[in-house]
Amino acid sequence: MTNTFSNIVSLDLAKEGLGKIQWAKRFMPVMEFIKEQCIDKGSLKGRRVGIILTLEPKTANLAIALQEAGAKVSVFCHSTSTTDSVAAALTSLGIKVFARSDADSDMDEILLNRFLDQQLEFLIDDGAGGIRYLHEKRKDLLPFIKGVAEETTSGIRPLRVMEKEGSLLVPCVSVNDAKTKQLFDNVYGTGQSVVAALLDITNIQMQGKTVVVVGYGYVGKGIAKYAHAYGAKVYVTEVDPVQALIAVHDGYTVKKLSTMCPTADIFITATGIGYSLTSDHMRKMKDGAIIIVGGAGQPEVDLGGEKQLKLGSWAREHLREVSIGDNKSVFLIDDGHCANCSAREGNPVEIMDLSLSVQMAAILFLAENEDSLENKIYSISKEVDDLVATACLNSLGAELDEPSEKQIEHANSWKHDNII
Amino acid sequence: MAIDKEQLKLVAEKSRITDISLAAEGHKAIAWASRNSPVLNGLLRKTLEDGSFKNKKVALVIHLEAKTAFLATVLADAGAKVVVAGSNPHSTKDVVAAALVEKGIEVHASENSSYEQWDRDLLAVADTEPEYIIDDGAELTIRMAKHRPQLFAKLKGVSEETTTGVARLRGLFEAGRLPFAAMAANDAACKHMFDNKYGTGQSTVQAILSLTNLLMAGKKVAIIGYGWVGRGIADYVRAMGGTAIIIEVKPVQALEAFSDGHRVASIDKALVDADIVITATGGMRALASRHFKYLKNNVILANAGHHDLEIDVDALKEESSEVVEIRKGVSCFTWKDGKMINVLSYGALVNISGGLGHPIEIMDLSFAVQGLSSHELIVSSYEPGVHVLPDHLDQEIARARLQYEGISLDTLTDDQFDSIDKWLEADND
Repeated sequence: MTNTFSNIVSLDLAKEGLGKIQWAKRFMPVMEFIKEQCIDKGSLKGRRVGIILTLEPKTANLAIALQEAGAKVSVFCHSTSTTDSVAAALTSLGIKVFARSDADSDMDEILLNRFLDQQLEFLIDDGAGGIRYLHEKRKDLLPFIKGVAEETTSGIRPLRVMEKEGSLLVPCVSVNDAKTKQLFDNVYGTGQSVVAALLDITNIQMQGKTVVVVGYGYVGKGIAKYAHAYGAKVYVTEVDPVQALIAVHDGYTVKKLSTMCPTADIFITATGIGYSLTSDHMRKMKDGAIIIVGGAGQPEVDLGGEKQLKLGSWAREHLREVSIGDNKSVFLIDDGHCANCSAREGNPVEIMDLSLSVQMAAILFLAENEDSLENKIYSISKEVDDLVATACLNSLGAELDEPSEKQIEHANSWKHDNII
Repeated sequence: MAIDKEQLKLVAEKSRITDISLAAEGHKAIAWASRNSPVLNGLLRKTLEDGSFKNKKVALVIHLEAKTAFLATVLADAGAKVVVAGSNPHSTKDVVAAALVEKGIEVHASENSSYEQWDRDLLAVADTEPEYIIDDGAELTIRMAKHRPQLFAKLKGVSEETTTGVARLRGLFEAGRLPFAAMAANDAACKHMFDNKYGTGQSTVQAILSLTNLLMAGKKVAIIGYGWVGRGIADYVRAMGGTAIIIEVKPVQALEAFSDGHRVASIDKALVDADIVITATGGMRALASRHFKYLKNNVILANAGHHDLEIDVDALKEESSEVVEIRKGVSCFTWKDGKMINVLSYGALVNISGGLGHPIEIMDLSFAVQGLSSHELIVSSYEPGVHVLPDHLDQEIARARLQYEGISLDTLTDDQFDSIDKWLEADND
């Protein structure tokens, strides 16, 4: 592979990209508010911030907001998650973008290295892809890094493993653990957008369908909620007894995945863990069953195993037939990539306004506290959560009560004051 | 249905489509529709085995996409000579039209044609002298009545898809201008209770979210009209976490909306609050110049009724300083006071122009009704006027669908019947 190709596909697409970015911006009032906070504090001025997120109009607004807060911003994105017009738009605004939708894996790696070579001080990561790569292959650049903000559940998992092993060499903030992120993004955002992607790609009816949601974390909860809202009969499969019990109390029937294989119409995985649904399951499914990934993408659904299955022809755009023998086929959406992002536009704008605002607040936290941070995983503080939630409520015209003095006094005392 | 090269050439010459080389995509889309259409593949094919459609000239005028195309092939497989056009200038899919021609079916339609071209296409279908019409909005029927009176007089029957079209046919009949029998397919339970409500409901909400990439949770959605379509949309808005505000002119419908737990308000009050406005009236100018002043900045307008004229987009354009297509299918109008008003699919039917139309399984039911209604017109003799599919056939369609789902029904035993005869006979004084 020659190393002379340009960092984006074409600057000509910038106008289209700017339109998409402006549309999203109109529905992102919280980001605007947090940006103003960053500008007031001034602590991002001149700092080198790198962003690894699905490159689309909403994340583009985070890049622009950081730039407007004074940061020098670079962006990397894998080919499968890159929107070229958005890459062009950001480039036209002076942001360094390393992302091409036409890149193969070698090219992607070169782009990632070019991105990391910006000697980033702060990194916004997705799936801990960047930070793991730095620890594995580019330790030379780790000294520049002052802190990392990680977006997803599936990215926090390896970071916790690294923290436990003592191999984590930079401070991290778990953006995913913020209430204003996971209680909204994972539940409502992924829930609405995965179910919408399924309907959009297949043109099928949801009413009356038997839908199996594999995994009942926040994402599974949201997917189950929206599938049920559209009229599906929802079953949940789990490995964790407490999560399974919550699913039962939310009104769903909990079964083993293998039990559900022969009868269900639609399978939606939401585990974030590889090999959650395999070729062994697929062989037991009925003809025409549809499989979609709502968790972390490959290899959450795995065609491998002893008797490997093969991807067949495209039945529709983003829908591939997988022959399971006996003249039967199942249909896999977008080859098992996380379909709401890979085949559609990802989470709704308003949801990403919350999540990305938390990201920005996390970078602000890292910059303000960089001298006192240890190499461990920090949570988002209640203050940040409250700030983000309040800004969002204000934009919606919602009203909050304030506790009275008596309420505060009662909340802070331990003695009975009403014993008869 | 085998077709030789000569025939194909002839059909292609008679047809007016964009490009036959697009057919491969269309065949795939039709095959996927077929895979999810158990009632058309079961009950309807079986009914048509009686040969009643053999050599019958049938015009099929419904939004021309994969599901409609599949119905056309089922009728053609039963021996009918089918000619197809779209029921709206904006809803045709070129790939599907191409696939139909390649299957030997004459088509007069193209994607995003002008109104004038669409009119010409419909008249071209009229000139093929159809005996039966499967119509949508009575678009072909009323044109034939007006512009092709002699051919109109020769028509043997019409089966109509929509609420709007049925009202038009009843109007024709009352005016003494319907000399043949028509079937109000729309009025069959297996059509309007599912298609209008669940089909339009799911696909409209779905299309709005997909075109805008916005969240439904927390949105206030004004819905103009609470017929079957409005009911379905309101249900899905609520199910997805939005709040529906219903605008009605009929007190009973409004009371029903109120009792269903929705907010009900006059249009001025509803629009002031609404993040999204959806028209579902089947009439015209439900949202017009006099209403624009109430709209919020950044509001989203979508049409789910019958006409492309439910939102008066022309008036909006006239009163706006700038119109930009800010995203695919989202036109942003800068109104005279400076606020942004976003119109989806430029006021055309949002679920069809901006989405994939109704879910396949819903159209499987609707088209089963259309198929059986047309079959009734052919095999039974109905007086001129507007009729409804006999109840037992409606029940058959529902039963066929339930059977496919593996659901069997109970039957009443004799002693479960409440019969006045039994009461009179009984010794119970």
